[in-house]
Amino acid sequence: MQCYRPELQATAKDIDEVKQLAEAGADAIYIGDAQFGNRLAGHFSIEEIKTATAYLHERNKRAYIMINTIFHNNHIDALTSFLTELKTIKVDGIVAGDPSIFQIISDLAFDIPLNWHPATLSTNYQTLNFWHKRGLRRATLANELALSAVVEIKEQVGFPIDIQVHGMSCIFQSKRSLVTNYYNHIELDYHQSKTRYIKEAKKAETHYPIFEDQNGTHIMSNEDIVMVDYLAEILDAQIDGLKIEGMLKSTAYNAQIVAIYRDAIDTYLADPEQYKMKKLGWKQAIYAIQPNQRKIGTGFYFKEQIY
Amino acid sequence: MEQQLKKPELLAPAGNLEKLKFAIHYGADAVYIGGQQFGLRSKAGNFTFEEMKEGVDFANQYGAKVYVATNIIAHNENLVGAQAYFKKLYEVGISAVIAADPALIQACRQAAPDLEVHISTQASIANWKTVEFWKNEGIPRVVLAREVSVQEIKEMKEKVDIEIEAFVHGAMCISYSGRCVLSNHMTARDANRGGCAQSCRWKYDLFEDGIDDDAAISEQADEDYTMSAQDLSMVEHLPDLIEAGVDSLKIEGRMKSIHYVATVVNVYRKIIDSYFDSPDQFELNPEWVDEIWKAAQRSLSTAFYYNEPTHRDQLYGKPERIPKFDFAGLVLDYDEQTQIATIQQRNNFGVGDEVEFFGPNFYHFKQTITELWNEKGEPIDRAKHAMMITKIKVDQPLNYYDMMRKQK
Repeated sequence: MQCYRPELQATAKDIDEVKQLAEAGADAIYIGDAQFGNRLAGHFSIEEIKTATAYLHERNKRAYIMINTIFHNNHIDALTSFLTELKTIKVDGIVAGDPSIFQIISDLAFDIPLNWHPATLSTNYQTLNFWHKRGLRRATLANELALSAVVEIKEQVGFPIDIQVHGMSCIFQSKRSLVTNYYNHIELDYHQSKTRYIKEAKKAETHYPIFEDQNGTHIMSNEDIVMVDYLAEILDAQIDGLKIEGMLKSTAYNAQIVAIYRDAIDTYLADPEQYKMKKLGWKQAIYAIQPNQRKIGTGFYFKEQIY
Repeated sequence: MEQQLKKPELLAPAGNLEKLKFAIHYGADAVYIGGQQFGLRSKAGNFTFEEMKEGVDFANQYGAKVYVATNIIAHNENLVGAQAYFKKLYEVGISAVIAADPALIQACRQAAPDLEVHISTQASIANWKTVEFWKNEGIPRVVLAREVSVQEIKEMKEKVDIEIEAFVHGAMCISYSGRCVLSNHMTARDANRGGCAQSCRWKYDLFEDGIDDDAAISEQADEDYTMSAQDLSMVEHLPDLIEAGVDSLKIEGRMKSIHYVATVVNVYRKIIDSYFDSPDQFELNPEWVDEIWKAAQRSLSTAFYYNEPTHRDQLYGKPERIPKFDFAGLVLDYDEQTQIATIQQRNNFGVGDEVEFFGPNFYHFKQTITELWNEKGEPIDRAKHAMMITKIKVDQPLNYYDMMRKQK
């Protein structure tokens, strides 16, 4: 039997972060060009993608390229050229969530591992098996799933499954410029460089980051998912990729988080008893570096939803 | 030579059996409804199979079609019984299902290969390559994302031979549909399985980082932050969508009233027919726009069809005052000899009120109620009881299914 070793994945905003996160123990790094990648930690030019990929390959690590925007007609030609360039770089995979990608890579005869990641839409195994028949080789699940559903999906599919174990999740995307629109309405100058958040009216404890980019307006979750003390369930289910979402966080923070999860995963796989003893320590280490106003939670992994 | 344009389908929402009948009678070529399972409007009337059968029989008399929305994004446990459900839909005579989740698309094709599957707007189809993908999957029709422009639709139609359905009127998700889980995070209600709490329309405080936590920008500006959008209306621009090649013009609103559905369908029916009578001479009649405003619930916008929407397409502050109309009565019968109409009360009205009667084919007239009787023929002053049968003397002829509205 092949030895189970999950991939610890992280996002990076620039080459320096790629290096630091690889150094801290990440097995794979998500990067991308802002023209095609949605909610990237930062923009990479094709040259930077080349540099980052070479750096990771030298260390036996992987580079995944995010092209997960909801595409409009005007993306298609540019995306085709971009993918043609990627072909020469030998990246380890692309991450996409728009069905056009199946047509495009088939038209290009580009044999590249495709990680299917349509954000909120990957919620059941029959859907994933449908996309698997169309060519996905890996899938990232929606963050709004119970951990029991994640485990069931893993049991029912024959390809690798990735889940987010740390960081914020996107809870809303509009193509409209909903922050600029508001500033125009109240006739206040809008400065893109400022960071912003919204609170539910009269709910002082809420804090949802909100920002605009070329894909529209994004709102992020009130809490960071922190699963460092629930890795036993995840690793017992042999989930293939554990992802740390590092957007809107500093490189120093992300590097520490990667190191903590590296240690936690390796400890559990070597000695589950040891993991049990140390897990609260890791959680406390995360509390200690958590930015102000970023609360910690477990997302929907243990939360019931009604409908 | 000028290319022959195909008359597009007018597709209307039907939250229950009664709304279905009105939508079709007022000119919809097809309606979409929800069943007991797999639909996104858990609070809409949602048809039983028996009601669907009755709806299909009614539609058949008009040559109209009935579609069923099965547009949830399912979790593992929601897929139980999907095949049996689709088989049953096919048996009761449903013409197509509208689905976004490939698991449901697949279940439908396996259980009822002859039941058409249309890809829902929840799948956010926004480019021609994705349209081509679904075409190659054998899908006959896609419902586009609400973020595409008329120009983009034109390109899609040029590049791919597939039916395109696009929204022309009604409320909209401000997000890319399906890509919003505000409701999940703020209320633990799953938006993509029918639990949407419409959190995008709530009021928020907006802050810039680095300033005092008490000093919200929205507080300083004395204007709450919200994402709430105006409703879509293409009433003034319908020829653009027809000429772009849209095959089905869709009205939103399974939760809307009978008055809303009948009014909006009536207007769009009239516009489509007028355009096809003589495309070259077509001119917008201001009465059609006035009529739309009688059913409007919010300010209206063309959303993404021409330009990226701006702050003028949002709903900030106090809502614009729109005159509201009630559905006051349904015409059950009319006696040509006596010029007396039999009316079933739907909202309080009485002697002295100015009301408006309207019916299919954009039939309209205003009337002041001078004489009113109850079922026994006794004169009364007001019709106060829900569904009570009354008689009114009217100036112009009426038909069963004509409606009486009254300004609030």
